[in-house]
Amino acid sequence: MIWVETIVNGILYGGLYGLLGVGLALIVGVMRVVNLSHGEFIVLSAFLGVSLVGVFPWLHPLALILPVAVIAFGLGVALQAVLINRVVTRPDPFAGILLTFGVAVVMRNLMVEIYGADLRHLQAGQLAQASTGVGALHVGVLPLLILALSVALFTALQLLLTRTRFGRIVRATADHRDVVRLMGVNPGRVYNLVMGLSLALASVAGMLLAIRASFSPYSGVERLLVSFEVVVLGGLGTFWGAMLGGIALGVAELVGLRLDPNAGPLYAHLLFLVGVLLRPNGLFRVRT
Amino acid sequence: MTAVRASAPWSIAVLGVAALVAAPWLIGEGAQRFLSEAMLMLAMAQMWNLLAGYAGLVSMGQQVFVGLGAYCLFFSSIWLKVAPFWVLPLAPLLCAVVAAIVALFMFRLREAYFAIGTWVFSEVVSLMISKTERLGGERGVGLPTARLVDPRWLEPLTFWTSAAIALASVFGTYALLRSRVGLGLMTVRDNEVAAASIGVDVWRNRFIAFVIAAAGCGIAGAVSFTAALYVAPGFAFDPNWVVAMMIIVIIGGIGTLEGPILGVIIYFALREALTVVFGLSAGWYLIGLGTVAIAAILFEPDGLWPLVRGRLGGDWLSVRREPPTSGWIAAATPAAEGVRSSPSGLGTTPSDR
Repeated sequence: MIWVETIVNGILYGGLYGLLGVGLALIVGVMRVVNLSHGEFIVLSAFLGVSLVGVFPWLHPLALILPVAVIAFGLGVALQAVLINRVVTRPDPFAGILLTFGVAVVMRNLMVEIYGADLRHLQAGQLAQASTGVGALHVGVLPLLILALSVALFTALQLLLTRTRFGRIVRATADHRDVVRLMGVNPGRVYNLVMGLSLALASVAGMLLAIRASFSPYSGVERLLVSFEVVVLGGLGTFWGAMLGGIALGVAELVGLRLDPNAGPLYAHLLFLVGVLLRPNGLFRVRT
Repeated sequence: MTAVRASAPWSIAVLGVAALVAAPWLIGEGAQRFLSEAMLMLAMAQMWNLLAGYAGLVSMGQQVFVGLGAYCLFFSSIWLKVAPFWVLPLAPLLCAVVAAIVALFMFRLREAYFAIGTWVFSEVVSLMISKTERLGGERGVGLPTARLVDPRWLEPLTFWTSAAIALASVFGTYALLRSRVGLGLMTVRDNEVAAASIGVDVWRNRFIAFVIAAAGCGIAGAVSFTAALYVAPGFAFDPNWVVAMMIIVIIGGIGTLEGPILGVIIYFALREALTVVFGLSAGWYLIGLGTVAIAAILFEPDGLWPLVRGRLGGDWLSVRREPPTSGWIAAATPAAEGVRSSPSGLGTTPSDR
């Protein structure tokens, strides 16, 4: 029974990992830039959550997700417009990763200077302890809520990209950035919105993760690596692949922790390395 | 080209080596330690430059070899009960072997995927060592065998070893780039498809560069932690190693051999200015350097060295090759003259950068 519970919890936790990664998958898919400051923005949104809880102590942290996501959207648009759009057209494929790595270094150390290096936690009160279950199986209410929210956001993103005019423009820009110019689309502006969307999704995941696990300014590295593993394991092109990749990593991590209590994320990383060795194009690749 | 001008670099080299040999008698221990640190950092940055600037491999996990080199030196010295300097060659050897194995599957990943894939590998090694009590676990280990070295010689020996590693990193990379492998690397960097079509083995050239860079970072890391007399996973596999390598190379000039040298000077000058003179914390110093690196990528993607070279003139450590000056090419086509005298060689000799 304990193994069933571990795997169920791993799936619930992995849904959150999928949400961490889907923002990065979006960026990689649309503009072929891996944003190495993705993890730092996830941590920054958690710190914003902590700050807002300090200002509005009567509000539940879950109610603060929306304002934090709006702020993250604005930061994403600014990051793209001010910095990344300047290098995205360069033929050198490394300009983007080196630039965002520089942004990550600056952000990480700014957060250390502003918030200190201590471990933090976002308190969710009674909800964090509540649990429900079927028969002998006990599952937390909060993890269930988080998985439901992740699935809802994945569905919304999928609908946004496949069913709306905005989604069509984004997909067209991803395919032929020079051709869409002829149709009156400004690729830079599309990228701004996509980066905003990516970081808004990341901020939701960052807030939820801050409720489930403690974080410090140095957690950004860990968050980036998990997000990236989700993207690679899921395979490019499918968001549901990212969700499945996240779930695989979540299960690997929790099963690993059950076997080996001080393993940390070691088993998730090992799953990634094995996955890369066996299926370099992703475990769940459906289409190219 | 007169004999006097040709012999000038040699006399400079002899004077430089003599200065390095004599330095421990001329400068204090603090200065030796500072210079050792800077020279080891130069070696690591040069290795990262070999990968990112010439082999088209951006590794964000290069700290794994710094850490592995250090751990290899510490434990071979402790287990064999010999002074650390005797087992120093084992560190680059282990790193080269590990790199050769890692390359087999990491090379399936391209560009950014390779960058973060190596980073994940570094985290895995770090976590595994943290969990192994025999290797000191999370707390790390000291280096009791350092007592086997006469304490008066510990600092000078570290200094000379660091100097030798730094010189080897610069001139070894120079020699490598002038060789067939280096030429292959640069053709791959400039146009992978064209390089493959003329028979350059892309995979093999990158493999050689990756293994050499791992060995270089390994030996530099080993000496660096010998000087500290203590190693722990948190320091050995710190991503800040690769942050420093990257910032130095970006600011100095990626894809030039002189760039990392200039970058190291700027890196350490800024560090001393900000932390000693202005009393700022290490955090603010990294924020400052990161901002400079971002500005460099946006406005001077080739770094500062091309600007400095423009002022100084001369060829320095350029690995550019001149087309033949005599024979039928020069005689038959006047255009060949234009090729030869083109100031930067841009667009004429693909091996230059």
